[in-house]
Amino acid sequence: MRKTVAAGLAVGMITALGLALPAAAATSVAQLSVLHAIPDTPVDVYVNGELTLDDFAPGDLAGPLELPAGAYEVAVTAPDAADASAPILGPATLTLAAGANYTAVAHLTEAGEPGLNLFTNDTAQTAPGQGRLTVRHTAAAPAVDVLAGGSPVITGLTNPNEAKLDLPAGTVSASVALAGTTDPVIGPADVAIQEGVNTIVYAWGSAEDGNLAIAAQTIGGLHSNPDGVPSGTAGYLAQQDASTTVLVSAGVVALAIAAAIGAGLVIRRRATVR
Amino acid sequence: MSRGTSHRHRARRVILTLGAVTTAACLVACTPGGAGAESPPSAESTPTTPPPVSPTPVPPTPAPPTPTRDVEVRSGALPAPVASVAPVRLAIPALDIDMPVTDVGVAEAGQMELPVDPAVAGWYRYGADAVSTSGRILIAAHVDAIDYPIGPLARLRDVPAGESVIIAADDGTSREFVIQSLTYYEKSALPVDELFARGGPTALVLVTCGGPFDSTTGHYRDNVVAVAVPR
Repeated sequence: MRKTVAAGLAVGMITALGLALPAAAATSVAQLSVLHAIPDTPVDVYVNGELTLDDFAPGDLAGPLELPAGAYEVAVTAPDAADASAPILGPATLTLAAGANYTAVAHLTEAGEPGLNLFTNDTAQTAPGQGRLTVRHTAAAPAVDVLAGGSPVITGLTNPNEAKLDLPAGTVSASVALAGTTDPVIGPADVAIQEGVNTIVYAWGSAEDGNLAIAAQTIGGLHSNPDGVPSGTAGYLAQQDASTTVLVSAGVVALAIAAAIGAGLVIRRRATVR
Repeated sequence: MSRGTSHRHRARRVILTLGAVTTAACLVACTPGGAGAESPPSAESTPTTPPPVSPTPVPPTPAPPTPTRDVEVRSGALPAPVASVAPVRLAIPALDIDMPVTDVGVAEAGQMELPVDPAVAGWYRYGADAVSTSGRILIAAHVDAIDYPIGPLARLRDVPAGESVIIAADDGTSREFVIQSLTYYEKSALPVDELFARGGPTALVLVTCGGPFDSTTGHYRDNVVAVAVPR
């Protein structure tokens, strides 16, 4: 129930805020981003035989592309290939579900071979005040631990897997070390955990070639709102109002008594006159 | 660097081929065999045109293919979040209110955090900031708290529409709003998704408590909510 102080103002309120609710319409499209995480080699990316990314550079992130749900054939070619007939990676079929959010990553396997992997990005709502950190191992390297402030928060992560956690918004000093060790092979780097944002960090490159690096992707709009605003705890205002009411009531009673006495006097006077 | 790449792609955009991609996608989606399946029989059975009698001249070098759609490409470097511009002062001259504002987040129980002192207002740091051009700038303060005097926002319930509200920001700017509405909501029915909206029209939302006080729970029944729009 809500009580509006003035009807005219309520109309204004609705005008100002009434359009805010998002239309939760069912979607038939999927979101697809593409990350190039194979060192040293620019590539072209073909989707269903059509050149979609030209001279796509290592460490770059493309998208998101909004695509109708369905299956797509993706092929990665040398940068100046005439078409997708001689891919260096693929063709692979990616099946995208309606409403889902994906990142296709061209990266090295643990053994150092090129691979293509489709990750599903977690776009579930985050609690108010929190953000999400997803870490993906897409590097030619053995199992790793992820350290935050020097302490392991994710352990034994292997290529091509991910781990994720929701954290209070803030900055995390993150580093990657070989599993069971604390000596960083990547970082430390300051990673901003933004409220309502899934920050996806990729470890990529090759340990053997000494070019391990991180790439990042963010997906926002996952926030939720506080449950309420608990903006009064003492009751002093209510007490003040109550005592004011008592004073006013006392005043009204006093006036009423005075009026009654006055009326009685008038009647008596009339009686006297008669 | 990445910006340059993006522009180059935009320049090369071929809009006509977008339709082809969509059609191909639809075919893939509707074909049980998936991406590797053959073309529909109707396409196979269409009669092919006879080869031209005289050979057509072939260009010496075929033009390289061009991307079929405009895809944003950026560096995978760790993003540096844009810093917010925090409101630092809230003034409603008609009510003789001029109080400091600090930034606040979320309390343990999932409710908005509030400065303990009712004389200090809290700005919800995850919502719109002092210079936002969309979404709600939400500022709240306790109406009262144990061992503190009743706060300035106790007077919010008396604010008439049309009164001026000014917020000063930590970048030295100030911004004026005009009260548009004043509403009492039972706390259990506070429309938080509207009041905390990150998008939509810009509004300054001021929240405190009011209505009857329940001394057993230590809470007021209502939230008093004033909405102000940019002047």
